[in-house]
Amino acid sequence: MTGKKKNLRLNTVSRGTEAVIYIVLGLFALCCIIPFIFVIIISFSSEESIRQIGYSFVPMEWSTEAFRYAFQRLPQIWRSYFNSLFITVVGTIVSTLMCALYSYVLYRPDFKFRRFFNFFSFFTMIFGGGLVPTYIVCKQVLGLNENYAALIVPLLVNPFNIIIMRTFFQSSVPLELIEAATIDGSGEYSTLFRVVAPIAKPGVATIALLNALVFWNDWYLSLLYIQRNKILQPLQALLMELQNNVEYLNRMAGQMGAAAIQEASKLPSQSLRMVLVVLIVVPIACAYPFFQRYIVAGLSVGSVKG
Amino acid sequence: MTRIPAKKNKPTASSLYKFSKYKKTLVLLTMAAPTAIWLLLLRYLPMGGIVLAFKDYKINPRNPSFISNLLNSEWMGLNNFKFLFMTDDAKIMFRNTLAYNIVFIILGIIIPVAFAIMLNEITKKFVAKAYQTLMFFPYFLSWVVVSYFLNAFIDGQYGMITAMQQAAGGTAVNWYYEPGPWPYIIVFANLWKNVGYTTMLYLSAITGIDSTQYEAASIDGATKWQQIWYVTIPNLRTMICILFIMNVGKIFNADFGLFYSVPMNSGALYPVTQVIDTYVYRALKVTGDISMSAAAGLLQNVLGFICILTANTIVKKIDSDSGMF
Amino acid sequence: MKKLLSLVLAMLMVLSLAACGGGNNDAPANNDTPAKTDTPANTDAPANTDTPSDTPAASDLDPVTLSIWLHGSTVTPEASAKVMESVNAYLKDKINVTLEPIWGTWADFDTATVTALAGGDDVDIYFTCNWSANEYNKYARDGYWVKLDDLLPTYGADLLTTIPDGIWECAKTNGYDGMGVYAVPALKDTATQNCWDLNGTLLAELGYDVDAVVESASLNPDFYYSDEFEEMLQKAKDAKGGDFYPLVGEPVLFERIATGTSIVTGDLNGAPVFSYYYDLEHPAKDIGSKLVCKYATPEFKKFAERTYYLSQKGFISPQTQNVDTANAYMEACRKSASYLFCTQSYAFGCELDYARDRGIDVRMIPTDAPYMDATSGQGAMMAISATSKNPERALMFLNLLNTDPELMTLLNYGTEGYTYNKNSDGTITFVDEVRTTYSPWRNGMGNIRILPATSDEGADYWDRFSAYYDQAEALPYGSFIVDVSGLSNEATALANVYGQYGFQLMAGATNPETVLPEFLSKLEEAGMQKMLDTANEQLAAYIAG
Repeated sequence: MTGKKKNLRLNTVSRGTEAVIYIVLGLFALCCIIPFIFVIIISFSSEESIRQIGYSFVPMEWSTEAFRYAFQRLPQIWRSYFNSLFITVVGTIVSTLMCALYSYVLYRPDFKFRRFFNFFSFFTMIFGGGLVPTYIVCKQVLGLNENYAALIVPLLVNPFNIIIMRTFFQSSVPLELIEAATIDGSGEYSTLFRVVAPIAKPGVATIALLNALVFWNDWYLSLLYIQRNKILQPLQALLMELQNNVEYLNRMAGQMGAAAIQEASKLPSQSLRMVLVVLIVVPIACAYPFFQRYIVAGLSVGSVKG
Repeated sequence: MTRIPAKKNKPTASSLYKFSKYKKTLVLLTMAAPTAIWLLLLRYLPMGGIVLAFKDYKINPRNPSFISNLLNSEWMGLNNFKFLFMTDDAKIMFRNTLAYNIVFIILGIIIPVAFAIMLNEITKKFVAKAYQTLMFFPYFLSWVVVSYFLNAFIDGQYGMITAMQQAAGGTAVNWYYEPGPWPYIIVFANLWKNVGYTTMLYLSAITGIDSTQYEAASIDGATKWQQIWYVTIPNLRTMICILFIMNVGKIFNADFGLFYSVPMNSGALYPVTQVIDTYVYRALKVTGDISMSAAAGLLQNVLGFICILTANTIVKKIDSDSGMF
Repeated sequence: MKKLLSLVLAMLMVLSLAACGGGNNDAPANNDTPAKTDTPANTDAPANTDTPSDTPAASDLDPVTLSIWLHGSTVTPEASAKVMESVNAYLKDKINVTLEPIWGTWADFDTATVTALAGGDDVDIYFTCNWSANEYNKYARDGYWVKLDDLLPTYGADLLTTIPDGIWECAKTNGYDGMGVYAVPALKDTATQNCWDLNGTLLAELGYDVDAVVESASLNPDFYYSDEFEEMLQKAKDAKGGDFYPLVGEPVLFERIATGTSIVTGDLNGAPVFSYYYDLEHPAKDIGSKLVCKYATPEFKKFAERTYYLSQKGFISPQTQNVDTANAYMEACRKSASYLFCTQSYAFGCELDYARDRGIDVRMIPTDAPYMDATSGQGAMMAISATSKNPERALMFLNLLNTDPELMTLLNYGTEGYTYNKNSDGTITFVDEVRTTYSPWRNGMGNIRILPATSDEGADYWDRFSAYYDQAEALPYGSFIVDVSGLSNEATALANVYGQYGFQLMAGATNPETVLPEFLSKLEEAGMQKMLDTANEQLAAYIAG
């Protein structure tokens, strides 16, 4: 960057203002992380403590029992970890690529069918066929059933992301650049990947992160399409299964009679549920800085400051 | 930053474009193809199911395939929509859905934009990164987990606030039976969960702003505040408008978990937590009728569609570049 | 243009689905001509024997794969594969069937199964019952299940003799093809009895004669309202401190126990609005009851006032008064024995299990005699899906499952030497660490009375089990089922009104003096009277014919 050191005061807010920013954002950030710390504390609380004093920041007794139990009783955790990872990596790459290609086309004002394709994706953001028809198409027409594809394909496109990506292109990539590249004899694909993509990196990274989150967090597809081959269950599905079991039995307790009570006593402990939350959040939280590199690193490029 | 200076020589450019016009269109079509085919198969194909909203769906045991069932089912006209307007509760749930969403949309623009600008102004980059990472955390937690967390504070038996009240000699209130504070709790919870996400979108948009604009502004002697006002915000305008329009489209849809799990499904709180989605969920649990759920969904979508078209028109009137289509 | 586009697309969908559904067209899923001779099973199965499952004709039958969707299971893929190896070897010899189980949990019962049913999945047998969204009676009405009446004599002859007529009667419903049986009922805990679960150890500590209290409280409808009851709660509270809440339970069950009403089959799922009062000591006695609005009775008012009073006294925890935490809190209190009275829907022999688990003296105080109603047959059932390509073979499988101890044990308990070991007295002992990877919901499987007893239960467990359940009397309305499917608008409104008021009143959280009248007027507005009239018309018709 040019102009380093110079204009330093001019290009930053005053120290006082910056202090206020630190405090406001800091407080909010604290608000955001405390619940997660809380979840970690519960996952390390003993079952007896939860029974006696409920969820608390200061449990009566610490315990790693729930973690041990989770890994012992749920041997599928490791496989589910792998499934989640596999689905997330493949899904993120494919969906981000598809999104970038499609939104790039929408961004090109010289594309003949631009308006049509724009509306074509936008319309699906509002209207859908509903659960059952989609389920039938996926399962019976496309064969998305008991396989990894069933966990990936239905989430590949999100019209919201297409519009966001298009907006990123519009605000950060000057059209002249494409004209120039075309004049230089660059093909459309190489213009996109060699010229446009590097500039739109923050946008692409943002979309990739959003996609990664969607794939990592999804459990509903597994609920619908993975019944007989539960080896394919991702981690989040495992957690939601436990949680929904609890929720269901709570709801049915009045009607199921004796069965509900016998069933409820089989349910996993509260700390076990929190253990699963921790196991799910930690990997994706660790992956976050990877994406953030592109999103925040761009900051020093975008604005002129030391 | 830009490698090639702007070229304003229109005739040259356009003739060059013409040169390979068909080929170009074809190549661009191949780019759109994967997503277009996906949309066709997974979004447009199932749309035939919208007729469900006007049918009384029953199985045709002689030939139990979906289409044959659909054809065999009786037409219901608009009867499937009636249940939404059966009682006075309809007023409450429509009012709540709209009121909360309007508040969410307004605060959901102001706060993330402010946060994104503030993050951008932090000179210590590692602090900015740390803050941004932390702000994203709520997005990872499901509403059910959030409800446990909230419960730890306000539970009538174990809650920390309850304990404090009792220690101070007061009587503990059961928060799940006091509608008063809940509108604030719900608005805060919604912001808390989504601000990090939206902030990131705006932050990426700020990152994409061409630095020459700031350079030019600072050479002209603009203060930081002026730069924010005259460079950053105008550059965020498109993103703000797009997110605004998209949120308006969802104005009749509520985040189910926020209104169901967070208040722990407490009946006493219905006056302030009952929204269309929770009403439909509770209603259809007893009938299990997929036609009625299709009807409710369709109504929300149609209303949303009308709103989105209106919002888009208004936005385009104000700023012709920022419309969605 | 866009309109045109969506029209074309809708057509596209219709065509493609018709094409893929076309394969099903000639499937013999219909049941109007059960004696059809063109189905392979029918031509191959020797029609002259009345027990096809026992005839060694397995090799004559075409090999088929049957999928069955069960619920409440905790089964890992490995354990399933291992057990299924034995199950399928056995089934191949018997009826030439390969079984493909779907080990559903409770989580997918109201969601995935419902979608699969509406979407016409190729599942042959579904678990169903009368107490959830996957509702036997509703789906029978809407044509999802195959009517079994005509198939049973040929393919389920053993079932007809094994399952008592009374239970078959309970399984009857007015379905798509008229009145009849649309699923095979499970012979499990076939009666309902409500109890107070009493912490005997604590009561003795408080200076009471436990036996005398149990004696006087049994079948005593006034016990909940007595000063003695309040005194016990007060003493427990005083002895254990302010954080101790002696009265624990599921509020919906509080109401049934304290007012003596039954669950009316066909009542709104998760939002009960009907009450039926019966004679607590002799459930079969006809006392001229009709269906009434649960909340409009003097009994309910008295109950709500009493519960609110007890709650104000600090006997009921706020956790009990929260619909999302009530059940989990109750479980926690039971496990740690921190309660005096708790609600209990009785299951045979449960007090012994509880006493062992909690390390206290657990007493059950029955508030009524065990009774039978439609739930006795509909609590757990196996229905054959209309989409099944082999309904006859599916029924043959269910026939074998419910009558052959070896198959039932295999599916329910796993394989010997892997999940359990046999003892010399005929009982079995589980290999705990393996059993936890293979535990289907036992009661959901079918005729559990042919299972071996576990060593904990004792060798004569199933005899005692049957003796207890077989003494139950049927309620005067027998296996009556309300059908309010024609009033779905009213039902949806009532469900929301119930959600707002019902639970809090039953939990004693709000003062019935102000809330109850509001609740009743809202119920009226939502169409309660229409609902009630329809239901009572049906009841009168049922009793008349």
